[in-house]
Amino acid sequence: MPGRYFAKSMRVEDLLRRVAAEAPHSRAAWYDGQELLYGELDKASDLLAEYLQKHLPPSARCAILCDNSLEYCVWFFGILKARMAVVPLDTSLSADSLATILTDCQAELLCAQLKFRRKLPLLLDNAISISAVITDSPLSYSSRTVSHITLNEIVGPIGSSSADAKHNSGMFRPLTLNDLGADRADDSLAAIFYTSGSTGAGKGVMLSHKNLVSNTIATVEYLKLTSADSVMVILPFYYIYGNSLLLTHVAAGGTCVIDNRFLYPEVVLDTMEQQEVTGFSGVPSNFQILLGNSTFTARKLAHLRYFTQAGGAMATETIRRLMKGFPSKEIYIMYGQTEASPRVSWLPPERLAEKIGSVGIPVPGVRVIVADESGNEVPGGETGEIVVDGDNVMIGYWNQPDENRAVLKDGMLHTGDLAKRDSDGYIYIVGRKKEIIKVGGNRVSVKEVEDCLLAHDKVLEATVIGVPDPLLGETVKAVVVLRPNMTADAKEFVLHCKQRLADFKVPKIISFVDALPKYQSGKVNKLQLKQEHSGQ
Amino acid sequence: MPVNSDTVRQELRTFITDSFLVGDETTTFTDTDSFMRHGIIDSTGVLELIAFLEEKYGFAPEDDEMLPANLDSIDNLVNYIKRKTS
Repeated sequence: MPGRYFAKSMRVEDLLRRVAAEAPHSRAAWYDGQELLYGELDKASDLLAEYLQKHLPPSARCAILCDNSLEYCVWFFGILKARMAVVPLDTSLSADSLATILTDCQAELLCAQLKFRRKLPLLLDNAISISAVITDSPLSYSSRTVSHITLNEIVGPIGSSSADAKHNSGMFRPLTLNDLGADRADDSLAAIFYTSGSTGAGKGVMLSHKNLVSNTIATVEYLKLTSADSVMVILPFYYIYGNSLLLTHVAAGGTCVIDNRFLYPEVVLDTMEQQEVTGFSGVPSNFQILLGNSTFTARKLAHLRYFTQAGGAMATETIRRLMKGFPSKEIYIMYGQTEASPRVSWLPPERLAEKIGSVGIPVPGVRVIVADESGNEVPGGETGEIVVDGDNVMIGYWNQPDENRAVLKDGMLHTGDLAKRDSDGYIYIVGRKKEIIKVGGNRVSVKEVEDCLLAHDKVLEATVIGVPDPLLGETVKAVVVLRPNMTADAKEFVLHCKQRLADFKVPKIISFVDALPKYQSGKVNKLQLKQEHSGQ
Repeated sequence: MPVNSDTVRQELRTFITDSFLVGDETTTFTDTDSFMRHGIIDSTGVLELIAFLEEKYGFAPEDDEMLPANLDSIDNLVNYIKRKTS
């Protein structure tokens, strides 16, 4: 009886507790020849929670700086079990940017892999709210006083050797939205996911247990996940889509097969075959790479049941190639936002050929309105903003009351994405209201990159646009006006940006012009710039 | 034309340090250290590394050569470049 695991109100960690109680010997995760069983994950995260409750104040924010690994899973669930909030960090960010995030949310604890040790001194010097650090290996660090311990000292060794594929029994019954009921999920803060905002400063998206649990269960339902499922995880857990893979598979009692080497696609394809995964989830660039530069379609992938794709629009040509390469596999095209925990809509695979280009219909339990400026639904075929209503809508942005007022109205999320609906109610994204460039699933704030360029001594004016990229969907292009009598080359600006921005935000193309096209108001005419520069 | 291993080794080290460890004077890595495990090169970095191979040594890896055994350490790269240019 599922109810006994969440007698009061359902929390994210109850998804783990439930499967650990019923199927402790099932495999929760596999990484690099090591497996972690549900019983082990539950016990290790209990020990961590006990430690955290002794050493940190209630409701502390606890950040994780860690690649996908067995340790990440323990940190994530241990923090939640301690009734604290997880702050997953984008490991590609600079130490400066990470310190800004930690300071913004006043994080008390940093859980870090030692491979990121070169970021730690600057990060800990600047993020003074951090009072404790837990690392995966011993750390020698001498700066301001922070308490330090390794995860091993708290919970003991994690995982055990297991090279072979393993399928969990399909007997475990995943929860449904009906099990969850109307008032059984916990409204308190579970996690803060930072995303690039259109204004440049990062925004902390606060998600409650209710947000994450309801969206997880809805996703398990439409993907028909069972405990026999195992997903190839190449997307980072700190990214909300990657987080969704972790939670949906824990909810279903399935397995996350982790491989962080997608830069070597053949290695990941080997893992998929060796571990007999049943699912693969990616952003458009993952599919572009697999279809364009690997033996993907020649592989048997006999156990694979489905693909999911989200993280930005995938070219219809790529979808067609995927359908042609794998006619017997289910392909789920999905749409969402971090602010929606993340899933908003899905396209049933059997309608894909007919509705290609659509992001489908709302996920179970979620209502989507395509609305005009006043919030009223527009007639079918007309363009409006996607507005989301459901338990998946975030609590709000951390410490951003103005932003919250702008996107949350009457409890509904105004996504900033523009869309149309066809006569069957299927949603087609047509554009974005906000100035964001999506590079391979990552959101890049135009303003953040522009501010970085403008900080260069030689720059008089700079603007940034997204231009089509066959691999990444979009890539960042900078158009720069130099100060009088200055000379510079593109490499100089790339270096300048690299020192200040995450790699995916650094402009890949830099053009120098004498002047930027402008409207009478003085604002840069980006439409004209895009037309002039879209051919790169 | 066959390449000189020591020269290639130094060229690769300079490229990796200048491209991926900008402003970082504390990180050191040996010729056998994995770039991935040590957090030196990420997926974007590999694309830059490939562009460097193409520009400097005149070849880009074939699809089936995109492997850690060829690209994921200085030693692996040196051996790979030698094979490709011999």
